[in-house]
Amino acid sequence: MSFLYDFITRDKKRKPLPPKDRSNLPFARLGFSFKEWHDGHVNKHKWRNRRWAFLIFINLLFIISFAFDLSILEGSLSGSRLIGIYLMDPFNSSQELVIGSRTGYIALLTTNFWIGFFVIMTFYWLLGGRAFCSWVCPYHFFAEMGERVHNYIVKKKKIREKTYDITVKYVFWAGFLLLAFLTKELVFENLNPVGILSRSLIYGPGLALIWVVALLLYEVFGIKRFWCRYVCPIGTTYSFIGDVSPVGVKFELDKCGYCTDCQDVCLVPHELWFVKKGAATKEVHFTGGDCTKCGLCIDICYGEALSFGFKAPSYILGSVEEKKELHPLEVPDKTKKEK
Amino acid sequence: MAPTNTKINRRQFLKASASAVVSLAVVGSAAYYFKDKSSLREKGFLRPPGARAEKDFLFTCIKCGLCVQICPVRAIHLADWDDGLSYGTPFINPAVQACDFSCDAIQCAETCPTAAIDFQIFKHAGNEAVEPLYKKYPNGDFPRNLNPFKVQIAAMKRADKMGLAEVPHPDQCLAYHGQGYKGPLGHGNKGKLRPPDSTERIRIEETEVNRKICDLCVIYCPIGEEAIELTEVSDGKFLPKVKDGCVGCGVCQMVCPTIPQAIIVKPLDKEPQFA
Repeated sequence: MSFLYDFITRDKKRKPLPPKDRSNLPFARLGFSFKEWHDGHVNKHKWRNRRWAFLIFINLLFIISFAFDLSILEGSLSGSRLIGIYLMDPFNSSQELVIGSRTGYIALLTTNFWIGFFVIMTFYWLLGGRAFCSWVCPYHFFAEMGERVHNYIVKKKKIREKTYDITVKYVFWAGFLLLAFLTKELVFENLNPVGILSRSLIYGPGLALIWVVALLLYEVFGIKRFWCRYVCPIGTTYSFIGDVSPVGVKFELDKCGYCTDCQDVCLVPHELWFVKKGAATKEVHFTGGDCTKCGLCIDICYGEALSFGFKAPSYILGSVEEKKELHPLEVPDKTKKEK
Repeated sequence: MAPTNTKINRRQFLKASASAVVSLAVVGSAAYYFKDKSSLREKGFLRPPGARAEKDFLFTCIKCGLCVQICPVRAIHLADWDDGLSYGTPFINPAVQACDFSCDAIQCAETCPTAAIDFQIFKHAGNEAVEPLYKKYPNGDFPRNLNPFKVQIAAMKRADKMGLAEVPHPDQCLAYHGQGYKGPLGHGNKGKLRPPDSTERIRIEETEVNRKICDLCVIYCPIGEEAIELTEVSDGKFLPKVKDGCVGCGVCQMVCPTIPQAIIVKPLDKEPQFA
C-alpha cells in the first residue's frame, strides 16, 4: 500500500524549485502591476457552463430514453447501455467481481458485463478518471451547489471549516470491497447516492432519496464535500485510473503569477498543491487522480497557466522534463480592449 | 506536504481511518441485519422470469434497471428502501401488471448484464425444442402449419417458473357460484396484455368481455391448457384448476375481476447455488 501511496505522491516528494523572482512573474514581464493584470481578466465560465450543460444533457438522456422508450442511453448510472454498448459502474462491478470470485459466480457473468467493465475503464482512463464526477455524476452537481452554500455559511462565520485527511477514502474503498466479500451482498449500492439519485431521476423518486438529502445537508452544514472527498469509492476507483491517465490539467510554472485563486475555486484543492509560491517541483505539472477535470481553475486563471493537456508517458511514470525556454505571454482580454 | 507535517498527518489519518472503520462496521452489521428483511414475497410480488434464487439474486443484481426499460408492458419495477437489501432490485406485481411474455424472447433476461436474470435457461430450452425440427427438415422447408420460431418461443415461455397460481378461497371465484362476468377485464387495474393467438396488445381496462361462466383466467393464460383448466367441481359450480404447466406469470391474477382476486400467484422458492 505504501508503494502505491509513494507513486501517487511522487511529484510532491521531490525537492521544490526555487520561487521565481518578481521580475520573472508574468505580469511584470508584460509590464503590468499585479492588480492591472488580475483585474484585466474576465471569467467567462467557459468550462463550467460546458460541464453543467453536458451533465444535465447526459442525465436528461437517461430520463428521456426511459420515458419515451428510446434505445439511446438505457439503464441508470449503475449499469447502462449506450446505443447497444454496455457500460458498467466500475465499483459496482468490482464488488460483483469480489463476490463472484468468492462464490464462483464470476464464471457466469455475461460477455456484456465484461465489455461494459472494460469499456468504462478504458473510456475514463482516456478522459482522466474522475472526470466522471464533475461531468456526469448527478450527486456531484447538487454537492457542488451545496459546497457554494457551505462556503457562504463559513464566510458568514456561522460554522467553522473542518478538513480531514483525504487518504481515508482508500480505507473506505478497501472497506466496502471487504464488506462485499464478507456479507456477499452489494452493500455499497444500498448507500450509493449516485445510483440512488440516478434511479430516482429515471424511474421515479423513492424513500432512498432521504439518504441523499441527509448527505447533502451534512455536506452543507457539517463537513464540506464529506461524501465526495472522504468516502465515495466510485470516485476512488476512478482516481486510480485518473492518476495514470494521459490527460489532465496542465500547469506551466512560468505563466503563473502565484495568486492561488485557482486553489480557492478548486473542488479538490489538494490537487493544485503546486500553485503556491515555491511549491512546484517541476516546470510543468499535471493534476493527479483526484482532479475531476471540472475546469474551474482554467476559467479563473489570469495568465492561462492552467489548461487541459496531454501527459507524455514518461511524465506518468514520474520523470523530469528539461527546463524549456519561457513561453511567450499574451495580454489578457480586457486590457486588450482598452488598448 | 512539507516533511514537518508528516506526524500531524499520520495522526489525522489514523483518526479518520478509525472513524471510517467504525462506520464501515456499522454499515456491515446493518447489512447483515437487513439481509432477510425483504417483504417483497409477503406482498406477493414476483421476480422477473429466469431470476436466480432469492439469495443469489440479491448479490448478482446490480440494480441498473435495464430490465425495467426493456419490458414492453412495463411490468417490472424497482424495490425501495423499505424492502431492506432488496433495494433497487426488480419485481413484478401481478395484481396490477403481470408478465404476459409478449416480448417473445424473455428480453429482461437477455438484457441483464450480470445474469441475475438468467437467459441461459431460456436459450437452452428454446434450442432443445427447435433442434429436432431442424434435423427433421434440414433445408428449412417446414410444413405450412409449422413455424419453428413459434415452437421456440413456446418452449422458452415454459422454461422457468416465477411462481405458481392458486385459488386460496374458492368462494370468491365467480365461476364457483356459477356466475358469469360482463364488463372490462381486470379489477380496476390498468394493464397491457397480448391475448393468446393474437399479435396485438390490448389494454385490459378498455377490453369488454361477456362470459356466461367466468373463465377469464383460463382463456387469457399465455401457456394454455397444460397450465390451467376450468373444471366442474359439482353441479353448476366451476373452479379453475392449476396444473403442472403453470409458470406463475400472473396474467390470471391480472385479469381476474374480483376484489380480492380469487386466483393469485405465489412466488416460488428456488435453491440458492452460490450464496
